[in-house]
Formats: sequence, C-alpha cells, structure tokens
Amino acid sequence: MGEEAAAAGAAVEKVVHTYPLIRHTDMSEEMRVEAIELSVTACEKFSQNNELAARMVKESMDKKFGPAFHVVVGESYGFEITYECTTICYMYFGGNQAICIWKCS
Amino acid sequence: MLRAMVKRALKRDDDTVLITKTLLRLNQKESSKSRSNLVDDEALEWLKPRTLLKPDEQEDVPEAELDEEVGRFLTTINPQWVADEVAYHYGQGKFVKKPKPSFGKAYPLYIYQGTAIRKDSEEAKAQIAAGYGMVGFDDAGPKKVKVKKSAAEEEEEEEPEPEAPPPEEAKHEEEVLEEEKPVETVEEQEAHPVEEEHEEAAEAEEVIEEAAPEEHVEGHEEEVIAIKPRVKKLANQFNFCERAALTYNLPRRSVETQTVPPPRATYGATVLQCIIFDFYQEDYARKQREKEEEKPKRLRKKARKHAKSAQQIHDEQLAQRIREAWTILERLVNQNIYDDIAQDYRYWDDPSDEFREGMGSLLPLWKFQFEPMRSHAVCDVQWNPHYQDLFAVAYGSLDFTQQQKQGCLCLYSIKNPAYPEYAVITESPVICLDVFKETPYLICVGLYDGNVCVYNAQLTLESSYQYKSDSVRDKHSNIVWEIRWGARLIDGEASFFSISGDGRVVQWAVMPGELQATTIITLRTDLPPLPGPDGTLLTVNSCGSCICFHPEKADIFMVGTEDGMIYTCSLKYNRNYVRSVQGHHMPVYRIHYNYFNNSIYASCSGDWRVKIWEDGRDEPLFMFELGSPVGDVKWAPYSSTVFAACTADGKVYVFDLNVNKYRPICVQAVVSKKTKKLTRIDFNPILPIVVCGDTKGTCHVVKLSPNLRVMCKPPKKAQGIEQRTLQIMKLDKLLSLVRDPPFQTGVVDEKFEDD
Repeated sequence: MGEEAAAAGAAVEKVVHTYPLIRHTDMSEEMRVEAIELSVTACEKFSQNNELAARMVKESMDKKFGPAFHVVVGESYGFEITYECTTICYMYFGGNQAICIWKCS
Repeated sequence: MLRAMVKRALKRDDDTVLITKTLLRLNQKESSKSRSNLVDDEALEWLKPRTLLKPDEQEDVPEAELDEEVGRFLTTINPQWVADEVAYHYGQGKFVKKPKPSFGKAYPLYIYQGTAIRKDSEEAKAQIAAGYGMVGFDDAGPKKVKVKKSAAEEEEEEEPEPEAPPPEEAKHEEEVLEEEKPVETVEEQEAHPVEEEHEEAAEAEEVIEEAAPEEHVEGHEEEVIAIKPRVKKLANQFNFCERAALTYNLPRRSVETQTVPPPRATYGATVLQCIIFDFYQEDYARKQREKEEEKPKRLRKKARKHAKSAQQIHDEQLAQRIREAWTILERLVNQNIYDDIAQDYRYWDDPSDEFREGMGSLLPLWKFQFEPMRSHAVCDVQWNPHYQDLFAVAYGSLDFTQQQKQGCLCLYSIKNPAYPEYAVITESPVICLDVFKETPYLICVGLYDGNVCVYNAQLTLESSYQYKSDSVRDKHSNIVWEIRWGARLIDGEASFFSISGDGRVVQWAVMPGELQATTIITLRTDLPPLPGPDGTLLTVNSCGSCICFHPEKADIFMVGTEDGMIYTCSLKYNRNYVRSVQGHHMPVYRIHYNYFNNSIYASCSGDWRVKIWEDGRDEPLFMFELGSPVGDVKWAPYSSTVFAACTADGKVYVFDLNVNKYRPICVQAVVSKKTKKLTRIDFNPILPIVVCGDTKGTCHVVKLSPNLRVMCKPPKKAQGIEQRTLQIMKLDKLLSLVRDPPFQTGVVDEKFEDD
C-alpha cells in the first residue's frame, strides 16, 4: 500500500513531456526544423503505425533534400549507423518514441 | 639441275629487273649487309678477283659526279606529247591535227615506268651493286636456304636484318662497291655455261616475264621470287609499300578521376524508454533552471531600479526641501539685514523734490556683487521682462590689456542682494546678453571669443549652456558686442541676432540641438582696400558695436559701428544700407528706440555725446555732451521724454526733454570716479528703479526720485485719455518745437554746466 501511495504521489508530480526533443543532430538549421516538423506531423498522423510514419518522413525528406534518407521510428531499438555528415537527426518525440533520420547513399 | 634453274632465273631477272634510285644511306646499309653475307661465305673467297671490269663504251665519270645526288621532278607536262601531231582521217581523206589528249580518255599503248632506269646505266649498276633488284652472289651458301622461304617469311626477315649489322658496317661506300662488283662478274661468268643447257626452258620463261616486266606488283614479284633469292623492295615515295600507307593510330588510353566521397560518420545509440525518459527529465530540469536564472535577474534589476529611484526621489525631495528652507532662511536674514533699504525702496521719496522744480535725485539702494566676479566688469545688465525683481548680469571684461579668462552670467533678484539666484561661469568673458521675452528663462549671451550661447536658467548648472555656436564653423571672429532676440522664423524656431567686431551681423536660428548661423549683412566701409603683405588687397569691414531693432518693423535694424557710423539696415538686403549717418566720431555704444515713438531713437558714444535722432533725418534732434565716454543710454519705459545715460566717470544722467531740453534733470555720481566706471544702465520696466553696472563687478540699483518720473497730467477737457496717448502727445509736441523752425545745431550743441 505504501509503495502504491508513493507511486501515486510520484505520478502526480510526474510531468509528461511530449515535445520533440533533439538528442543528437548535425543538421543545418533549416533541415533540422524541417525534420522536426515532419517527424511531429508523421508521428501524430500515424500514432499507431510507426512503419507508415517512418515511410512518410523518409519520402518527404527524400523529396526535399534528395534521396536516400533512412528513418527509424520506434520505442525500443539500438542502432549503429554510418551517415553522410550534416544529415543525422536523432530525436525523441511524444515522451516514448525515438526517431532517427539520416542520409546515406 | 635446280641450281642451274636458279642461275638461269637470276640471269633473266638480271636483264629485266628495275633498279630504283635509293638514298645513299640506305644503299650503304644494304651493301654492308650483303657484304657480311659474303664474308660468311668463306669458301668462295678465293674465286673473287680484285679487278674491276668496265664496259668499253662506258663514259668516264669522276667519282664526285657519281656520288652526286640527282633529283627528279614530277611535272604535269607530258614530255611525250607532240604539239602538232597529225593523223590521217580516213573519213575526210586527209591529215588532221590530233586533238590534245585529255586525261581519262588516253589509251596507253606503251607504259614506261617513271621510276625505271636503264640497267646498264651507272645508277643501275650502283644499285645492283648495293643489292637492290638482284642477288649479288651465287646460289651456293646459306642464301640458298632463304630462297626457298615463303614471301611472308621474307617480310618478317626484312626488319631484323638491319638491326644486326656485321662489324664491317663502318666501312666506306667505295670499298663496299669495290668488293661487290667482282662478285657480280663472277656470277655472270658462272651463269653463262648453264644458260646454254637450259635455253629452251629459259625461252618459255622469258615470254611470261616480258608480258609484265615493268609492273612492280607484289604478286608478280612473288612469282619470280619463288624461284630466285628475294629482291629487296625499295621504300621511297614512288615505290611505297602498302603498310607504309597506313596512318599512325594514336594509342588509346583511359583516364579516370575520383572525387573525394562526401564525408561520413558513424553514430550509434540505444533507444530505451528509460533513456528517453531520463533525457526528457534532464532537458526539463535544464529549462527550469534557465527560467529561474532569468527571472531573478529581471526582478533584481527592477528592484534595484526601484530602490535607487526611491532613494533618488527621497534625496531630491530632501534636497529640494532643504533648499527651500535655506532660501527662506536666507530671505529672512536678508530681509533683516536690508530692511532699511527695502523700506527706503518702498516708501522713501526724496522730500527735497518738492522744493526744487525740475530737478531730481537718485537714491542708492542695493549693491549686487558676486564674489568670484569682483575683478570683472559688468558688461551688460538687463531686467527680466517677466519677473520685475529679477535682472541678468553679464560679467566680462572691458580692460582688453588684462583680459579675464572666464566670464559669468548671473541672475539677481532684488529680494536677495547677497547672492545671485543663478550663476554660471563661462569659458570666455560675457560681453552681452538678451533675455527672451517669450520664455524669460532663455538667455542668449555673446562672448568675448566670438561665440554665442543660449542658457536655460531652468536647467541645472552642470548642463551649462543649452546651445552654443560651433567654434570652428560659424562663430564670430571678434568680440560679440550686442545680441538681440528677433522674431520667430517661418518654421517657428526662435532666432537671435548678434553683431560683432568682425563686421558681421549674424542671425542664429535655434534648431533642436544646434544653432544655425546665417550672415545677415557684412558691414563694409568706404575705405579703399588696403594692400596686403603679398600684394593682395584686404577689404576692411567696419566693426559693429551695437545693434537695435525697430520696435515695429521687424526687418529694419540699426547698427552702430566703432567708427561712429549708424547704419539703418534691412534683413532683406545683405549688401546695401537703407541709410547711413555719421552719428558719432567714436564707437557707438548704444542705440535705443523710444518706447512711445518709433521714429525717435537715442544713441550714445565714446565721443562723450548722447544724441537723439529722428528716422530720416541726417542731423540729430538733440545732442548732449556729458564730459566723459557714455557707456549706455536708455529711454524710460514710463515716459516718452525721459532717458538715462551712464558715463565712464561714474555718473548717471537723467534727462527729461519735456522739463529741460538742454540739461539733465539729474546728475548723480553712483560710483567713485577714480576707481570705477559705469558701463551699463537699465530701467526696470515697472518699478521706479534703475540698475547700473560698473567695471568692478558691482551692480547698483538706484531709485528714481519723484521729479524724475513725473507722469503727464491729462488736460481738463479730456480726462479719460490714457497715459500712453498723453506721453505720445507730449513727445510730438516737443518734437514739433524742435523740428520747426528748422534744426539749429547751435541750440542743441550748447554746453551745459557740469555739476
């Protein structure tokens, strides 16, 4: 019971963060803003389907900045990638989703 | 048998082979090669006789000519063609001229190779000797093997042979020739016995060979070559081999470049809910911290500002209250000290005036002094038009040999004779000032160094002047002698005029933040230009010393100069004077218009005289000699006929023309004649007091006795007439007396006795 109460107390204090938060990026300002906006839009549109969200982001980025973008959307994964410099963006969104966008052709 | 056949073939070939001329160099090479072959054939060496056999009919040609190279030329002219060739025409039955054969329609009956030479000629022999066209040795030996080789093999062998030359190659050409010729002869000798044996067979061969003996085609040669040792081809421009006709093929090569690939990097991370959560928490915490850091700053700033301003307000309030208290206290003290003076000022009228008709006196009241300005002279003094107890004093210096460094502008109130209400030290002595009538806290001053300033008495003393002329660009180049506020400009800016010793009248527009100068007029003289040091001519300006504006016509002003001239000028003309009068003989110190009649003005000068003028007249109406330089003359604001003058000997003269046209009604020494001079005087616009300044920085306020300020009594007929009208009438009456009869200098020039 005590634990539950403590958890409840913690839950009250806990603030749910849903804003997009950049973890790592070396994109230019313009590209970064675009990537964030796209990710937010895609993740909100396909909140239940990460695959579609990733596809949407990838295709939009390909259209805007040239082909061969790769997008990973998920809640739990690990990656080790090689990317072309100034094209990586690793960000969190919605408090539980990690989106990794990079370009490598 | 075979041997005999070959010999026979060789013999035949010998008759018909074409020998081509070759280059000497090639000749040499080939000959040396054939010689090497000979050397190899050691078995035949004993056969070769070392004698040269020549045909009988051969011409003797010297060696040099033999070696000479003879060039051949190709021309388009056919040497065989005969110009006037005729043929019998059977149709016509007569000889006709043959038409010139054209190319393409010619039918060659006989073809003679251009490259062919006769085989018994010298050249042919040389070539044969060199090994061209025939084999220079018999069928015995290693050459026999070569004969049996195919044509293809022959071609291959051609190339390596010159590459491996025998050691004898270096031998001279003559030697080679000598060696070869015997071989030839030997061959011929050997061939002859065989020839007879095979005569029939040879006959058949001859028929075939004769059909195309001259055609040097490879195919034909091959036929021949098949049974004889190979014949070397001559490679020259007439007898080229097809291989040589091939163009040179450039070798193909591929060139590749590679750009630097775009830089790449690797990145790896693990996505876990806990990591995401932690990072969000971290970021949030950081944001919170930043906010907190920013907030207090602003708050602190605000608080500090507030506290400071509160402190300031408190200080200011306190200071203000203390100042007020001190002012009241000072006033109280002064009131006690100067109580008798104040009483005198208010109530004491000289009782003796009743008994001496037409004469008055001045009652000295307060003396104003500013301690730092003890050694300065009062250069100008003026009552404030708004506050009747306030007057402005300009502290400068008139002793030009010992000029003071500083000056001072002071505002005194008669309520506090001890200390000026406002005092500001200037960088240069103040020579003149004028208080702006619209806003009486604005005072423009003219300085000794030629600058003009505008002081705002409302501002704190730290701010000093509010406007100052640009010392570099537009200041006067001499002392500013008088300065006067003028009418506002069209744009609404206030403006003032200054006159200076440099002979310029300048209008200064008070623009926001700056003064804008416009030169109104440059005072020229009638003097011819003076020759300068280096031949230039210097025009001399007359030095302006005072300026006075017409009370009604804003664009008319009068200028007095140091040479005594009085010029009437207009703002509209910057070159010409409206009028000019030789008013005095010394510098004109003041020109002052009458308050009641705009055409009457007074002037005073260093020539001891005060003159009363009427506009348009060249001669003064009145002239008074005061026995000393007259520093100032002012009309009284209360009477049209009263004016006062102060002189350098410390006296104040008060005239009332209505009472006495010739003498002053009051002469009183205000300061000691020995130590001080009176410089300026000014009537208080309302109160019956006059302030005058001396050269020791003291301002004397004196009260006019009742006889000096007599008002007009209205005539019984018209009681309701205003005082002003009466005054004007009084002056007009007086003027009519002076004007008519015509002006007499003797009358006004009369000397009066000085008391």
